[in-house]
Amino acid sequence: MLKEWLTRLRFLISPIPTHEIDDELQFHIEQQAQEYIAAGMTPQEARRKAVLAFGGIESARAQSHEQRPSFFLETLLQDVSYALRQLRQSRGFTVTAVLTLALGIGANAAIFTLVNAVLLKDLPVVDPETLVRVGNTNECCVNWGANNDNSYSLFATDDWHHLQKNVPEFEELAAMQSGIGQITARRDKTQESARSVRSEFVSGNYFRTFGLKPQIGRLFTDEDNVEGAPFVAVMSYDMWQNNYAGDPSVVGSTFWVNTKAVTITGIAPKGFYGDRLSSTPPDFYLPIESMPVLANAQHVHIPDRRWLYLIGRVKPGVAMASLQAKITELVRQSFAATPIFSDAEGKRAVAKAKAVLSPAGAGIQDMQDSYGSKLKLLMWISGLVLLIACANIANLLLVRGMNRQAEMSVRTALGAMRARIVRQLLTESLVLSIISGMTGLVVAYAGTRMLLAMAFPGAEDVPIDASPSGVVLAFAFGVSVLTGILFGLTPAWITSKANPTDALRAGTRTTTSGASLLQRSLIVLQSALALVLLVGAGMFIQSLNKLRNIDLKLNSANRYILHFDPQAAGYSPAQVEALYRTIEERFHTIPGVQKAGISAYTPMEANNWGDGVQIQGQPNLHTWASWVRGNTEYFDSVGTHVLMGRGFTTHDTSTSLAVAVVNQSFVKKFFKPGENPIGRRFGSPGPVSSGDFEIVGVVEDTAYNSATWKDHAMYFIPMTQRIPESARQRPIEQDTGLYAGAIVIQTERPMDNMQSLARQTLAAINPNLSIVKFQTFDEQIADLFTQDRMITRLMILFSILALLLAALGLYGVTSYTVARRTPEIGIRMALGANRGSVVGMIMRGTMLQTAIGLCLIGIPVAWFCVRYIQSQLYETKGMSLAILAIATLTLAAAAAVAGLVPAQRAASTNPSQALRTE
Amino acid sequence: MPATDLLQGTLDLLILRTLALESMHGWGIAQRIQQVSNDALQIGQGSLYPALHRLEYKGWIQAEWGASENNRKAKYYSLTKTGQKQLQAELEDWGRISTAIALVLK
Repeated sequence: MLKEWLTRLRFLISPIPTHEIDDELQFHIEQQAQEYIAAGMTPQEARRKAVLAFGGIESARAQSHEQRPSFFLETLLQDVSYALRQLRQSRGFTVTAVLTLALGIGANAAIFTLVNAVLLKDLPVVDPETLVRVGNTNECCVNWGANNDNSYSLFATDDWHHLQKNVPEFEELAAMQSGIGQITARRDKTQESARSVRSEFVSGNYFRTFGLKPQIGRLFTDEDNVEGAPFVAVMSYDMWQNNYAGDPSVVGSTFWVNTKAVTITGIAPKGFYGDRLSSTPPDFYLPIESMPVLANAQHVHIPDRRWLYLIGRVKPGVAMASLQAKITELVRQSFAATPIFSDAEGKRAVAKAKAVLSPAGAGIQDMQDSYGSKLKLLMWISGLVLLIACANIANLLLVRGMNRQAEMSVRTALGAMRARIVRQLLTESLVLSIISGMTGLVVAYAGTRMLLAMAFPGAEDVPIDASPSGVVLAFAFGVSVLTGILFGLTPAWITSKANPTDALRAGTRTTTSGASLLQRSLIVLQSALALVLLVGAGMFIQSLNKLRNIDLKLNSANRYILHFDPQAAGYSPAQVEALYRTIEERFHTIPGVQKAGISAYTPMEANNWGDGVQIQGQPNLHTWASWVRGNTEYFDSVGTHVLMGRGFTTHDTSTSLAVAVVNQSFVKKFFKPGENPIGRRFGSPGPVSSGDFEIVGVVEDTAYNSATWKDHAMYFIPMTQRIPESARQRPIEQDTGLYAGAIVIQTERPMDNMQSLARQTLAAINPNLSIVKFQTFDEQIADLFTQDRMITRLMILFSILALLLAALGLYGVTSYTVARRTPEIGIRMALGANRGSVVGMIMRGTMLQTAIGLCLIGIPVAWFCVRYIQSQLYETKGMSLAILAIATLTLAAAAAVAGLVPAQRAASTNPSQALRTE
Repeated sequence: MPATDLLQGTLDLLILRTLALESMHGWGIAQRIQQVSNDALQIGQGSLYPALHRLEYKGWIQAEWGASENNRKAKYYSLTKTGQKQLQAELEDWGRISTAIALVLK
């Protein structure tokens, strides 16, 4: 039995040697001849008769051969090696085809990798599908009061406890800080300097909810998250590897976190990047209850300060709709118990409050929300590029198929079966597409890296893998093989249908047998699609330019912005006034420094503090404004001009009267036209608090938070003055609003060494003062345009690719037409046509196809598609005629060049030679 | 040359039956079948050799190069164990079918 199986295996792998069959058949014939000789024939006669009697030796041999399974493998190998030989022979065709397909497939695979990683991937946790988030928006950081849409995603510590107690449908309900922050950490008993790291405060059941096991050590328990418990932290795997080389003694060691001793209990599992996909995943996880001390965060225990995201694991079989109703009811109860919702307005808001449950398998969907629409757009665009690439390949294969008609005719005439020829051609296009697919993977890998670098410039720890996953591999190969089959079959079918006698009969002289209708249609389609992409790129360039040219009402020349954290360095709010004065003095001693602004945050960074505003003596409008603290040189350092009254002076100190400077939008929003705001008072709503600040000046609307936030009402208060309302409520030690976040340095000339100078200056004041982030003002502004820049660059890239491909396709088909029409052109020239008219004739055909593509399909489609990208564009309505004109002209020019080259070749046809070559 | 067309699949049976007696080369098999059937069955070479290769691949017969009667190199086929079982099964089948046909024709 075993032997038989071995025989079978041998047959499968090793093809039977042809000579064996030949020997066997030869033996048969000889035996027959022997018989005839015995019957009295001469040897020659006997042999002749034996051969005749045997019949078709060839067919017997072939059929015997085909009985073996190795026959299939053998022909396949034959076909493949023949295909490779063919491809090697026509290098131009191969390189063009492989590059075309590889770029098309690579671009798609790259985008798909990103889509897969950002939009489709779950958190690396146990059973992600049973995780549910309470809330569905990216409301962030610390918030209070009613939300306009009545939907809540942020919750107070008390709300979380209330839900945890009353919703047994959750196996676990974890809470986590919504705004990931920075802490300063330094390992005890080592030489390392304090470093600024990202931290997230989380509940004790955080890791348990996700079902995670520690890499080493232990993760949090509920006992860790109790007020007064010893301070503990869990370190991320990446932090552990990158900064401590995976040293196991890190677990159990002490770190100075914001100058307080914290013990590392364990390392989070490898691959876990927190509860949300982000380019800045947390390095340290800390229990919520340690936040008031470690980060002096008072909001943790203020009942109406909402700052937590909630993610729970639901028990099996719980219905989401009824759970959502129940949670909404509990949230209303919890809100109703807080002072902020206790007035009539508040009660109305509570009655309408709702918490929407959303799937949390992928965690908090911040990045998904911000990149989703752009990634989808990119997918469409790369899909269009692939379509153009496929049209090109189809054309190339068609042209090639036609050129090989003679070869196929000869083969058919020699007895090759049609199936065999089709199979051969199909093998060829499959080999081509597999080579392209592999090249495409290289393009995909490089492309994904490029996309990541474009999407998250400067980020090192983006938890997105650039190497294509199995799905992407399958996708890329699927697309390439499908293209190969689809566009390999058509020419194969057309050529195999060729009547050998027709094709072999030389001298088919025609005037119209240029490219087929199919080919022309492909060209028309290509130019139309390329136009759509060009128009799209144009629209994005226009939008980005508009964005860039928005007057931000600031001056970024020779300005450097340094983010720091005095709180993390151990300063109490009562000590910061002296610190700020020292910082101002020390920075002014650096030669070249003109202004040293200190502020809570700066223009054009993703930060915003807001509060309700009521003008004294006027009704509460329930509106609010953003506010920023700044020192005396702050307005000058960022380039904000004072329009009325004054900015801050050295007389505005912690002991002087509380003053504020407001911006123009603030004046427009809260005062009647013509009213003089100077000297008026305002504050947070309330009979007393509405008189807290006296307006002493008006400044222009410098852009904060984003370039497109129009009519953004803001007020500014001196760096060291307490807000009277919070001074009434709590002691200065708890007034974290006094902490500055940034120093803006204006210098007289560009200073490349500013970063090290600033570091030294700060360290000289206090070694614990570390730099959280250092950028030029221009870099900070550019960061906010990252997404717009990325998509614009990609649009440009893709449209150039499309243009190239379309031109290539046009060139290929025109060349082919010219080659086919050489005899005809020869006759025309022999009859007196000059070069000009020949060029004209060829160009007419080429330009006609392009014109049809542009006018009949391209422009209407582009017109139609613009509405879909409009939402991605800044202040753009409808199609810009200028862009349409530029795109059309560019494409027409490319088409003209692509047509002119073969047209010139046609015109240099030597008539006598052309006529003789037949 | 009058020859009866073979029923589909009967060739395999004839080959297996012939080889059940002794191992034989292709020519010998053809001759044997012709002789035994009193020249009624003539196996065309065009179908004999593909059939032999097919049976060999199926594992019912195995091949071996040996010296022929007149000392020439020839490929000898013999029945394997599976082949014997297969022959048994096919003989039974054949018996059933021919009895059935005979009954109908009577």
